[in-house]
Amino acid sequence: MTSAPDHRYPVGTVRALLDTAHVTAPTRKALQARLGGPPTPRPDVLGERMATLAAVCARLLPQADRDPPIDVAGTIHAQLATGMGDGWRYADLPPDEAGWRQGLAGIDQTARAMFGGDFTGLTACAQDSVLRAVQAGSPAGAIWRTLPAARFFETLLAGAVEVYYAHPWAQEEIGYAGMADAPGWRAVGLGEREPREPGEIAI
Amino acid sequence: MRRHRPGDIVDAVVIGTGAGGAPLLARLAAAGLSVVALEAGSHWSPTEDFATDETEQNKLFWRDERLTTGGTPLAFGKNNSGIGVGGSTLHYTAYTPRAQPDDFHLHRDFGVGVDWPLGYAELAPYYDEVEATLGVSGPSPYPWGPPRPAYPLGPLPLNGAAQLMARGCEAIGLRTSPAANAALSAPYHQSGIGWRPACTNRGFCQAGCSTGAKASMDVTYIPLALAHGAELRPESFVTGFERDAAGSIASVVYRHAGGDERQRCRQVFLCAGAIETPRLLLMNDLGNASGQVGRNLMAHTGLQLWGSFDPAVRPYKGIPGALISEDHHRPADADFAGGYLLQSIGVMPVTYAGTVARGRGLWGEALTRHMRGYNHVAGINILGECLPSPGNYVELSGEVDARGLPKPLSHFTAGENELRLTAHADKTMRAIWHAAGARDIWSFDRFAHTIGTCRMGDDPTDSVVDRDGRVHDVPNLIICDNSTFPSALSVNPALTIMALSLRTADRFLARVTRGDV
Repeated sequence: MTSAPDHRYPVGTVRALLDTAHVTAPTRKALQARLGGPPTPRPDVLGERMATLAAVCARLLPQADRDPPIDVAGTIHAQLATGMGDGWRYADLPPDEAGWRQGLAGIDQTARAMFGGDFTGLTACAQDSVLRAVQAGSPAGAIWRTLPAARFFETLLAGAVEVYYAHPWAQEEIGYAGMADAPGWRAVGLGEREPREPGEIAI
Repeated sequence: MRRHRPGDIVDAVVIGTGAGGAPLLARLAAAGLSVVALEAGSHWSPTEDFATDETEQNKLFWRDERLTTGGTPLAFGKNNSGIGVGGSTLHYTAYTPRAQPDDFHLHRDFGVGVDWPLGYAELAPYYDEVEATLGVSGPSPYPWGPPRPAYPLGPLPLNGAAQLMARGCEAIGLRTSPAANAALSAPYHQSGIGWRPACTNRGFCQAGCSTGAKASMDVTYIPLALAHGAELRPESFVTGFERDAAGSIASVVYRHAGGDERQRCRQVFLCAGAIETPRLLLMNDLGNASGQVGRNLMAHTGLQLWGSFDPAVRPYKGIPGALISEDHHRPADADFAGGYLLQSIGVMPVTYAGTVARGRGLWGEALTRHMRGYNHVAGINILGECLPSPGNYVELSGEVDARGLPKPLSHFTAGENELRLTAHADKTMRAIWHAAGARDIWSFDRFAHTIGTCRMGDDPTDSVVDRDGRVHDVPNLIICDNSTFPSALSVNPALTIMALSLRTADRFLARVTRGDV
């Protein structure tokens, strides 16, 4: 196991930057809207599958020490409800909403086959086993005979991750200050830092 | 802005305002022709509309769904598409190397693919002109390729990734150079365009430049075209054509604000890119006597190699592709045709996270721990040759989109040449990153740019357009975008598309002068 460097910023760092002249008006608007959480999905395209999605996202991007957490599942749901995807789809996956509903139902099928219960009711450890099986590409469950599991998992994971790291709280977690670019950057070289880029804190 | 009525017969309609459409639009307008440009997307105001936020900037990508299949299915959306006045130049990295002379005759040199019916010599004066108009920043002299004029401006500063790549390459004996980028290293003035400001090193080229320092078409050739009297109609999505008895296009039909409109014209320039151009032709059963529309889809081999470093890189700052090496343009030990260039890459956080998710499949604590090292990550990627193959093409799928039009379906499988080239590059880049001190090195196999699908050639039986972009079997239709490239060229395509666009306009205008149109 490699020990990746860990250089998070202090909590509140990015939120404090948003109120400064280092951030342009369109940038501030976009990020503050995101801090307000996702809009209510209309129509409700996931229905009862939403609970499964929320439980899956909690394992893909655990946020045990953040209350409230970034609403990854709610944001995905709101995106799906707009009918506007990301511009492409593997041809062997069904259209977006239907694909997500089927895939989430498939995860529950796998959960029942492996552990005898719906995904939401399993322990974190069991949930991770289910997700690993889906990611590996040949999990138990009838849905996966027609829905390619690994492709669905890749789409699900990329979607969740892109929602999570677009959120200012997650950008704080990774020490990202790129949104504070209104004055431009002069210190762009290796190891160079400008005063408004917060220093890293050791963990 | 000059406005034409739909009933007016304009000299030319240009479909698409990216690297293919915008330069020729400006050229035709400057020659005094009446021209109307139809653009599917919006006309943004970068300072007011562009946020330093990747998600907000998804509006720059073509999001009507494209279906993708094959052994190595191509990604679209933020990878290979663009919409809005300026097309994909709104989010190109502004990397503007020239193709080298031998890029145009791969078949002559290697016996594979096809040669271009024109060569470097025909494009060189247009490369000169485009670089001057855009204000390309680059090193002089440039270490590779034939002698060339000095770049208009000196190179942009090297960011952390570029410094690391320079260090690694030096250690293993590879030459590097600051790259040519179409972003200004100093304020720059061009007649008809005005002053544009110097780049502030925002590092956000791939999600839209909010300052106008990057030479996207909306801040260069489009204002030039408007200054010469061109009319621009954004949010105008072309769906079809009306033809006369001789088979010529009499008017272009497009959707605007929910209704169908038409513009009568004498000539059409189709510049919608290597997916939408063949899609429009196939939907209208136009220009396809050869059966070649949609065929010969190519995509540059674009392997990325990532690593983590002890010093902070903060990869969101500086021009993303600051450093280049073309030492592998034709590698001596190659077991493949063609070659590749190497470039350092900066990266925005959401893009990097999505790459980690798709490329490594990390999730849970493994992912969040890796991402907490984001500030210490740097990458290199290649831009390499891709050969045409009968199995790689674009067709219409059986699914329709929200407009009621068939979604395109792309088929793409990397061939033996792409696999060998990629393996060679993987080895090269790992050696560079090891020498530069990287830990946790991993590669992400990807393909960049869509190329081909309306091949240029002298023989009407196996190509769609001639060397001047004229569709063989439609009298007044010219195509100018990356779809006409007979081969992929082992460089980023934008500069070559723009050079070809000016040449296409000049060839057309010469016919106008001769009374041959």
